[in-house]
Amino acid sequence: MNLLLEPREFRVLEGLRLNPKKSFAGRVRGERLTKKKGISIEFSDYRDYVEGDDLRHLDWNVLARLETPIMKTYRDEEDLAVHLLLDCSASMDFGEPAKFETASRIAAAIGYIGLGGGDAVYPRQVGLRQPAMPALRGRSSYLRLTKWIGDAKPNGEEGLAASLRHFAHASARVGLAVVITDGLDPQAAAAVRGLGGRGHEVFFIQVLSDIELDPDLEGDLRLLDSEGGKPVEITANSFALKDYRQNLTRHNDALREALLRVGGRYALVRATDSLEETVKRVFRREGWVAA
Amino acid sequence: MSFQNPGALLWLIPLAASIVALYLLRMRRRDVRVPASFLWPARTDEVRANALIQKLRFSWLLILQLLALSLVVLAFAKPQAKQHGLAGDVTVLVVDAGASMGATDIKPTRFDEAKRLVIDTIKSAKPTDRIALIEAGPSPRVIFPMSSDPSKELVALDNLQRYDAESDVGEAMRLAAALVGSQPGARIVLMSDGCFEPIKDFSAGKAAVVFQQIGSGRRNLAISALGTAETPNGRQLYVGIRNYGLDEMAATVTLFGDGKVIDSEKASIKQGVQWGKTLNVAPSIKVFEAKLDAPEDELPADNYAVTLVDPGSTLHVLLVSSGDPFLERALVLDPRVSLDRASSLPVDTSRYDIVVFDGVQEKPVKARGVLTFGAAGPNSPVSEQGSISGPRFVSSEHRPLMADVDLDGLYIESAQAVKPKATAEIVARSDRGPLVVTNQSGGLKQVYVSFQPLQSDFPLQVSFPIFIGNCLDYLGGQESANMLSVQAGAPFSLSTFSPVSLQDPDGHTTQSKPIGGSVVIRDVRRIGKYTLTVDGKQKPVYAYLRSDRKSDIAPNKDIQLGGGQVKAQIAPVRFADFWRPLALLTLLVLAGEWWLYARRS
Repeated sequence: MNLLLEPREFRVLEGLRLNPKKSFAGRVRGERLTKKKGISIEFSDYRDYVEGDDLRHLDWNVLARLETPIMKTYRDEEDLAVHLLLDCSASMDFGEPAKFETASRIAAAIGYIGLGGGDAVYPRQVGLRQPAMPALRGRSSYLRLTKWIGDAKPNGEEGLAASLRHFAHASARVGLAVVITDGLDPQAAAAVRGLGGRGHEVFFIQVLSDIELDPDLEGDLRLLDSEGGKPVEITANSFALKDYRQNLTRHNDALREALLRVGGRYALVRATDSLEETVKRVFRREGWVAA
Repeated sequence: MSFQNPGALLWLIPLAASIVALYLLRMRRRDVRVPASFLWPARTDEVRANALIQKLRFSWLLILQLLALSLVVLAFAKPQAKQHGLAGDVTVLVVDAGASMGATDIKPTRFDEAKRLVIDTIKSAKPTDRIALIEAGPSPRVIFPMSSDPSKELVALDNLQRYDAESDVGEAMRLAAALVGSQPGARIVLMSDGCFEPIKDFSAGKAAVVFQQIGSGRRNLAISALGTAETPNGRQLYVGIRNYGLDEMAATVTLFGDGKVIDSEKASIKQGVQWGKTLNVAPSIKVFEAKLDAPEDELPADNYAVTLVDPGSTLHVLLVSSGDPFLERALVLDPRVSLDRASSLPVDTSRYDIVVFDGVQEKPVKARGVLTFGAAGPNSPVSEQGSISGPRFVSSEHRPLMADVDLDGLYIESAQAVKPKATAEIVARSDRGPLVVTNQSGGLKQVYVSFQPLQSDFPLQVSFPIFIGNCLDYLGGQESANMLSVQAGAPFSLSTFSPVSLQDPDGHTTQSKPIGGSVVIRDVRRIGKYTLTVDGKQKPVYAYLRSDRKSDIAPNKDIQLGGGQVKAQIAPVRFADFWRPLALLTLLVLAGEWWLYARRS
């Protein structure tokens, strides 16, 4: 059985919880505090008594001293909907190691953290139109998650932006949308804004290989787009490479700006980066997860 | 601009078409699958092609390649630009330094104008041009040899001088032809007024001759005659003035006797007319000078003449010969000699003091002396008895005729076998008979030499001019003259073992050292009275110009040269190649094209 992660990586992930900025309404009682005032044991605030309130939560001590009925409120604990969006488009099958391989391991790590934190993890393949998978809950579901990841192949025919739009328009439960992708779609920034507009908090992890960050093409070439885009004829010289790098930087900046606008988070990960490094540099340092 | 090889330009069209055709070829590109193509710029800088065919697009490489091709084809067409200037790649400048170049119709003189042209030519020459300068005076000389150093050339130019004498332009041109005649494209530039005799026996070889004519006027009066004649009424002086111009001109003629004015007269002389005057003069006067003052006159050099009546100061010599330059040169080296040449004996010989027979049989003459070489006649001091070959000198007598003459080792190819007559004296003899015989009878002195100079190596010996000088002394009847009159510019010799100093009319003194018992004086360049100091004694030397050719200063636009005619050119044209800068430019363009190719590849 392929657990996708090494034992030492599990140890690194142990005790971590996803840390979205927003609070989302849960469907079942979970381990995550919400802003909704509820009946859990964790005190939140006081408020005036109104008729019909449960007298069990009346603060008798305050009433005795001040002769004013004051109700104690408590923070509720609900589960978090974590949409694990793994890009399975054809462009992910590039690089050494392949971007999809790195993206899969990151997805497994995010899933493991979510499952360990009592969140509802909704795995979704981006680039493929497949029926939505029911939520996974609890660490025991990790095996199902790894099987799902193991079955995924980077051969999707749908583009990233189209897939994200499709997801946003679907009646998915609002929550944390973790997008693990190469982001190589000219409409990706617009799709991210659409995703945020639907109320999701977006964690955007862009995985790029070295041949994308520092291409070593040379000569007169016809570039064939892996996802069916228009072929481009180029003379791969210093001018063309310089233009490419500028375009990539501009594209990534647009993604980052779109995520900032919708309150999301963005990280660029090299396909060659180890998972431990990603967890340390991105997840922990930038507060994507909390211990 | 013109092209030496214009046909090469036709190559431009097919070659340019070939280059353009290469750019019409489409690049067969390698297919490469990439994650996303939208990030890549559609940027194609095609430097290679390997498939057919595409629309022609703008390309700096194409532009640079077409430019380089155009430059190469242009260079192969050998473009040349027309340039006006006297200098060519290889140029010999020949400057006429004769008397007529002193004409003032061009200020200050024609000669100065020629000098200015030389300076302009040197300064405007390209660094690779080579120039030599020859002074065409009475004896042509090289002022500076082939050189491409303008600074040295300009310094050497100070040695270029003018003479109040006839110039030997022919010899100067032959010298120039000897310098560059074998070089194709070389140029011989003659700067002259054209006032010289037609030049024969000249070939420029592969060089081109350019005649730069200088001068425009012809207003000139000249003293054409000055002399004395013994008449029943006593000694008379005659003077002749000739107008070589086209307009009537006024002049004042002043005559001097021993330096004092004896007559002065104003005259108005018409074109082509010779004005003359005679007057009785005192027999005691030995030096007569004539000076001409004409305000409109353009040539001062012929406004002075001198004649001496000192016995022995002038020897009129007639050379009857089929041609012997050595003998002629030896004769004219004597300052007293006024030489005429003839191939046969003229009827009237009374005006000659000495007649020289060189290979022409001696005949009776009315002269005071006769010198005969290898052709005894009935009147000779010897009688001919056939011919001998290879006689060898044996001995000579101690006579003034043989003073300082060394005949030891003389090679004589053939000579006349002669027997001296009763009154004759053998002064030199060979193992086969007499070599030199003298005779004096009545007023006639004779010297007989049994061989012709050209049938021996005698002309190449130092003794030859000394022997000729001794003969002139013996036959002329005077040891040496007390005063001399010479043609300006003509070198002359004096027999002496002491240094000689010469003071010119301006007071400058030059020293000459003797070589082999004689001194050759070459510094009498201008007319006037010089003072010669020999062995502590001073001897006046009067230099004059008397030359119809030089007095006729009308410039000639065409000159006769080696049987052909050369026309004057105002601004000769040269063609300057500039394929070298084109080739350099091509290299620069190709370097730029390579740089661009390397950046885009």
